[in-house]
Amino acid sequence: MFRFRLYWTFTKKAFLRSAVYRFDVWSRLGSNLIFLLMWGSIWTALFAGREEAGGVSFESMLTYIVVSQFLSGVNGAGTPLWEIQEKVRTGDISLKLMRPFDVPLRYLFADFGSVAFYILTALLPLYTVMFIFMDLTLPSSWETWALFIVSAFTGFLIRYCIEMSFGLLSFFLVETGGIVDVFYFAMSLLSGSVIPLWFFPGWLERMALYLPFQGIYYIPNAVFIGRISGIEILLSLSVQLFWAAASYLLLRFVWKCASQKVVVQGG
Amino acid sequence: MSVLKYLDLYFKLISAGVRAQLQYRFAFVMRIVGLITSYTGTAVTMWIMLYQFQELGSWTFYEMLFLFAVAVLSWGFCIILFFHFRGLDTYILNGTFDRFLVRPINPFFHFMAMKFDVASFGQFIFSIGIFIWVSFELHLDWTFGKSLFLLLSVVGGILIQGGLLVMISALAFWTTKSEQFYWVAMYPARNLTNYPLVIYPKAVQWFTAFVVPFGFVNYFPAAVLLEKETPFFPENMGYFSPLVGIIFFAIAYYIWMLGLKRYKSTGS
Repeated sequence: MFRFRLYWTFTKKAFLRSAVYRFDVWSRLGSNLIFLLMWGSIWTALFAGREEAGGVSFESMLTYIVVSQFLSGVNGAGTPLWEIQEKVRTGDISLKLMRPFDVPLRYLFADFGSVAFYILTALLPLYTVMFIFMDLTLPSSWETWALFIVSAFTGFLIRYCIEMSFGLLSFFLVETGGIVDVFYFAMSLLSGSVIPLWFFPGWLERMALYLPFQGIYYIPNAVFIGRISGIEILLSLSVQLFWAAASYLLLRFVWKCASQKVVVQGG
Repeated sequence: MSVLKYLDLYFKLISAGVRAQLQYRFAFVMRIVGLITSYTGTAVTMWIMLYQFQELGSWTFYEMLFLFAVAVLSWGFCIILFFHFRGLDTYILNGTFDRFLVRPINPFFHFMAMKFDVASFGQFIFSIGIFIWVSFELHLDWTFGKSLFLLLSVVGGILIQGGLLVMISALAFWTTKSEQFYWVAMYPARNLTNYPLVIYPKAVQWFTAFVVPFGFVNYFPAAVLLEKETPFFPENMGYFSPLVGIIFFAIAYYIWMLGLKRYKSTGS
C-alpha cells in the first residue's frame, strides 16, 4: 500500500526548508551559470562560426547545452550523494530505519520539494530570461513540450535511483571514492549532458545507447531541440521507462541488502 | 622562530598525518583510483570533443591535454598544502579553531600544517603520465630552461590557487562560511581553466588574467611552452606566473591575518 499523503508531507517540508535556507539554495545558481558559460563557450568555439555540424544547426546545439544545464540544475538540487553517504557513515540513517516509512521513497519525495523550490524561484525565471534574450530554438508544438516534460521527469527518476544506489554502497564499503567517480563520469559523459551522443565515435555511441544514462540528459534534450521526433519519441520514452523500472529495481535490491546489513550490525 | 625551525616542525606534523592516513590502506588506494578515474574522465571528454572537431580555439587534443596536466599538477600540490583551508568554517563553528591560537607558533602556519592529504599522489601520477605521453606525441624538447620554467610556473600556480583557497577560508572569519564558497565559486571556476581561455568571452579572459589570475596557473605558461599565441594578451605573459603567484598569495595571507585579528571565538 502506498501512502501518498505521508510522503507528500516530506515534499512540503522540504519545500519549506529550502525556503528557509533560500540563500544557500540560490547560491548554487552561481556554479550552474559558470558551467553554462564554460560549455556554451566550448561549443561556440568548436563550431567556430559554422552554421551547422553533424546535421545540427549551431542554434540547436546551443539550445541543447542550455537545456542540459537547466536539467543538471534540476538533478543537482536534491539530496546530494555525499550527504547520504555521510548519514550512513555517522549512523544517522538508522534513525530513519526505525520509522514507519520507506527510506528511498522518503528521500525521493523530499527531493521533489527542494527541486520544486529551486525550479520555481531560481532556474525557471533565469532560464526564461535566457530564452528571451538569446538565439535559441523552442519546440513549436505543445505536444513536444509535454513529451519533453515527461521525458525530463523520467530522467530525473532514473538519476535518482542510480545515484541513491551508489550512495547506499557506503553500507558495504568504507571508502567509495573510485566507484563513485566512475558513476560521476558516466553521469556527465555517457548521459550526453555535455556532448550529444551523435558526436561520439560510433562504438561509444552504441555503448551509450545500451546504458541507462542516456535517459537522464540526452533523450530529453534531443526531444527539446527536435533531433528526436515523431514516432522516435515514443520509442525513446519507452527506453527511458524501461530504464526507470530497471534502476528502481536495482535501488530496491541494494536497499534490501543494505537494510539487512544494518540489522546484523545493530546488535 | 626561524624559518628552519618552522620547516622542521612542518615535516614533523605532516609525517604524523601521513602515517595516520596510511593506516587505512584500502581507502588510500581507492581514493587515488577515484582521482585518476575522474581526471581521465575529463581527458576522455576532451578526446571525444576533438574526435569530431579536431581543434578547440586552435588548440589540438594533445595541447589541451598538456594544458590540463599543468593545472592538475599544481592543484595536486595545492591539495597537500591548502585544500583543507576551505573547511575553516567548520572549525570556527565548532569552536575547535581556538586550539590553533593557543600554541606558540604562527596560527596560519599551524592551520596549514594540520593536514597533508596523501591522495594527491593521484594528481601526480596522472599529470606526469600525461606529460610523458604528450611530450612524445608533440616531440617536446625538454631543455633545462624549459623544465625550470615549467617548475616555476607550477610554483606560481600553487601560490595562485592556494591564495584563492586562503582568501575563501578568510571569508569564514566574517561570514562563518567558507566551504560553500569553494563549491559554488572556486570549483566551477577551476573547471573553466581546464580549457584554453581563448574560447571564453573577452570579459571572462580579462577577469581570469587580472582579477583572479587563474590564467597564470596553466593557460599562459602552457602557451609559452607550446609556443602558442594568446590572442588579446601580450606574448609571453606566462613568464610572470611566479611573480603573480607571490603577489596574489601575499594579498591572500594579509587578508587572512586581517580576518584572524577580527576573529572572536564562537565558544559556548
